Amino acid sequence: MPNTPISATNNLSTTSEATVVDCNDVTTTKTQPHLQGQKIGLCLCPVCRKLNLTSNNHCRRCFSQLSNRNYASIQQSWALLITATILLVVANIYPITLLTNRGVVTNDTIFSGISHLVQTGMFPIAIIVFTASILVPWLKIIGLATYLTAISFNLPVSKRKLMVGFHIIEWIGRWSMLDLFVISLTVALVNMGQLLDAKPAPAATAFALVILLTQLAAKVLDTRLLWDRLEQSDDTN
Amino acid sequence: MHEFDDHDSIILCHSCDLAVRKRALPSSSRAICPRCHTVLYDSPYCSINGMLALCIAALIIFIPANLLPVLEIHFLGSVRTTTVIQAAVTVWAEGYWVVGLAVMVAAVIAPGLLILSILTQVMIVKLKLHSSFWQRAYSTLLKNHGSISQMTMLEIYVISFLVSAFQLSDFSDVYFGMGTFSFTMLFVIILFLQREYNLEHMWSYVDA
Repeated sequence: MPNTPISATNNLSTTSEATVVDCNDVTTTKTQPHLQGQKIGLCLCPVCRKLNLTSNNHCRRCFSQLSNRNYASIQQSWALLITATILLVVANIYPITLLTNRGVVTNDTIFSGISHLVQTGMFPIAIIVFTASILVPWLKIIGLATYLTAISFNLPVSKRKLMVGFHIIEWIGRWSMLDLFVISLTVALVNMGQLLDAKPAPAATAFALVILLTQLAAKVLDTRLLWDRLEQSDDTN
Repeated sequence: MHEFDDHDSIILCHSCDLAVRKRALPSSSRAICPRCHTVLYDSPYCSINGMLALCIAALIIFIPANLLPVLEIHFLGSVRTTTVIQAAVTVWAEGYWVVGLAVMVAAVIAPGLLILSILTQVMIVKLKLHSSFWQRAYSTLLKNHGSISQMTMLEIYVISFLVSAFQLSDFSDVYFGMGTFSFTMLFVIILFLQREYNLEHMWSYVDA
């Protein structure tokens, strides 16, 4: 490892207004491969992100157990994702609310609820609900599946794009909760017997579990594995 | 390798394990990983007194936000109202306890725990409680901070007020209650609190 000088000063002067600073990595010359923490015997504490030596068993700051790589995380993530996919199909087929309007009981699935919104002309609300309860869960499942496939089968996909997609998935995943909040508010407000009544239906539980499981699948996954495995096949980012 | 003996000048990207040399950042900027564009660290701006003020404000507004009615509908002369907690309990009582629990955790329990946790951390730092009990409590709170803040979903709940109001306006007249105002204020205060809070910086108090 040559002792390369850090060119930090030239970056500093230009980024006084910018909010994002590109840090230069330890290997400043482009001809050298990127240096993984694993190769120089360092790892981050998974809990407090303190830098530790890989030879240590416990973090020197918070005493959590250290792991260089969590290889089981791919299987765990796959298992959670497959369960979530099955439940998401269930959540889309079964009714999510039971609406009684003047004695007439109607079952609303996620999709029929949205088409009802479109029919009544509430397009902005329909778009919000569509995004939260159909687009986001499916995008999350497809995105995570792509990500896991790329790691499991060493697919030659751009790692940087996968990583950007992963950050988006992590961030938008929470927004599916919108549907559950709306259901709980509606059910609590609308209870007037035969005249007008709203009740939750089985898909609500399935949908709640989909949110929980996909969030866990993204949290459990050790993303460093993507960069390790694809590094071996020597492709460019 | 000798140049890595000084651990604190090197940082590893937690997403792709790239070794990056750490350097000083200008204020209000963040360093990103040159390879995978994950945020590595922010310039530490973390005012203890500011957080204390925000915590107290959040605690005060937390009570009306959860106990006052957020939505009310007028239907054939009768008025129905609901609070955030009532909404979660009703779904639970209907037999959908998974949904009820999810709503309860995301909108009531996690935000409450978040405020109390940050308040305790701030007090421990501010009063310089160095005894081993408080230090253990401090690191336990820091370890759980990530999952608590991930479970807090106030911003989504605020949007859900609007969505429910529009959906129900098809059937009857819908009005926002004082709870909506308090809940939105709670969301804004917690937003600023989380902006002020810096986990890396809070951990640095353990080293000292």
